[in-house]
Amino acid sequence: MRRGRPSKPPARGPLPDPNGPGAESQDSASSSRQVTRERRPRLAGSEAAPIVWTAVVVVGLTGLWYALSAAHAVRPTILPAPGDVGATLATELGKPSFWADLTRTLEELVLAFAGGVCLGTLAGWAFWRRPVLGRAFEPYLAAFYAVPLVVFYPISIVVIGINQWPIVLLAGIMAAIPMALNTWRGLERVRPVYLLLGASLQATRRQLAARLLLPAAAPLIFAGLKLGAVYALIGAIAMEFLTASAGLGYQIRYQYEYFDERRMYAYILVVLLFSVLLTGSLELTERRVIGRG
Amino acid sequence: MTSRHATSLGSLAPLALAVAGWWLASWRIFVVPSPPSTLAALARDLGDAQYIQHLIATAQGAAAAFAISVFVGVLLGLLLGLVEPVRDALQPLLVALNGVPKIVFYPILLLLFGMALGSKVAMGAIFGTFPVMLNLSAGLSDLPAIYKRLGRSLQASPWQMFRHIYMPAALRPLLTGLRLAFSLSVVGVVLSEMLATRLGLGRVIESAYSLGRYAEMSATIVLLLAASLAGSLALWYVERRAAS
Repeated sequence: MRRGRPSKPPARGPLPDPNGPGAESQDSASSSRQVTRERRPRLAGSEAAPIVWTAVVVVGLTGLWYALSAAHAVRPTILPAPGDVGATLATELGKPSFWADLTRTLEELVLAFAGGVCLGTLAGWAFWRRPVLGRAFEPYLAAFYAVPLVVFYPISIVVIGINQWPIVLLAGIMAAIPMALNTWRGLERVRPVYLLLGASLQATRRQLAARLLLPAAAPLIFAGLKLGAVYALIGAIAMEFLTASAGLGYQIRYQYEYFDERRMYAYILVVLLFSVLLTGSLELTERRVIGRG
Repeated sequence: MTSRHATSLGSLAPLALAVAGWWLASWRIFVVPSPPSTLAALARDLGDAQYIQHLIATAQGAAAAFAISVFVGVLLGLLLGLVEPVRDALQPLLVALNGVPKIVFYPILLLLFGMALGSKVAMGAIFGTFPVMLNLSAGLSDLPAIYKRLGRSLQASPWQMFRHIYMPAALRPLLTGLRLAFSLSVVGVVLSEMLATRLGLGRVIESAYSLGRYAEMSATIVLLLAASLAGSLALWYVERRAAS
């Protein structure tokens, strides 16, 4: 269906909104969306090519790692052999402590994401409904990247304590900001004629939201969801890394402090895989949802 | 634009609200330092020669990290944006890598570059390179095909194509990338300093935290926030002027 499409200007640069802070959503994570959007019509048949190339690059890099450690080109304390790291990872996977750390990170991520999405959507909707509010908050939202929110972590530990809640709180705020911006920008792009149509059909408020506003704003809202999830993950792991009592980021730090490079690399691999899976599944969901319209 | 003054006045309201909330919190929660005591600590710090050394160390680290991320990011961004095979091979991987919490590579950087300036500059540079590279690449590759056809039909030379077709399209996303890179370089350097270093504002926050000197901790936080906000807003201003 073509509900979201008509509002999109045909020949515009890569920015969702060239002048507003909606440009904030144009960071690298959303640029992947733009790249796929451009590629889809042109290379509909050869969609598989980049995947093949990516696989080749990944295999090549792994081969390089093998070669480097086989030739003793780097000290194993800096880069342990891939076989050793793999074996360590396998034993770690069998331990309950590994699953406890994974669950902890997952729990923080899910709580922060859910809270951030609710807060961000509500805020974005409020900014759209009450432009006075939107204008007042706009500079702060626009300056989001300028503010290293992580520096608030020590304060919130002091106030809340060393547990998952300071992490959930700050990672939730990190997720809420792109969500608020994108919801706001998405709603602003809904054409007034749609709202008139809704009014003339005497749509209820709920019908208006579900049938009209949400589908029309969906592309930007989804970009916000993706950014929110990535920021929540990045924030949560970074804070675990700084100080925490459990979690995947905490484990990497801990293993480093104990000079256990193999375990450290094993946990780094886990975090890599975890975040690639997260980004990939969001990307696929987006294609299914937006693609179907 | 007519309501510019009204807008900036209205924008002070959330700030005032936040400061009021902070003040209230400092009354209710005894570990939260009040705004005046934070400002007093900040004034004390700025008069202290050793603190200035920490400040200079962070500023140097962030400047070096920003310079490296601009250089490497522009180079890689051009390569990715203009050479299609390179883009096909590397872009998906780099986009995926961008979603990875890059702080997890910090121990490796420590092993490679040591505890001194090297590891924190490397961390800040990795943080900052991604937005420059990916925004430039997206700006170049999202160029509508009709512009390229126009250039070819006018028989533009490769340089003319770059100068008049690609560069105008990529300027705005590049500037956005630079602004993000600035604040991410600062974040990367300060985060690294909180983990392992002798000199730097991150170190100051960390030691004030472990010593329980919360007024000094929040003074440094306020200073960092103000500095990176000012830099970011300046770059945002440049970006808006370039776009219009």
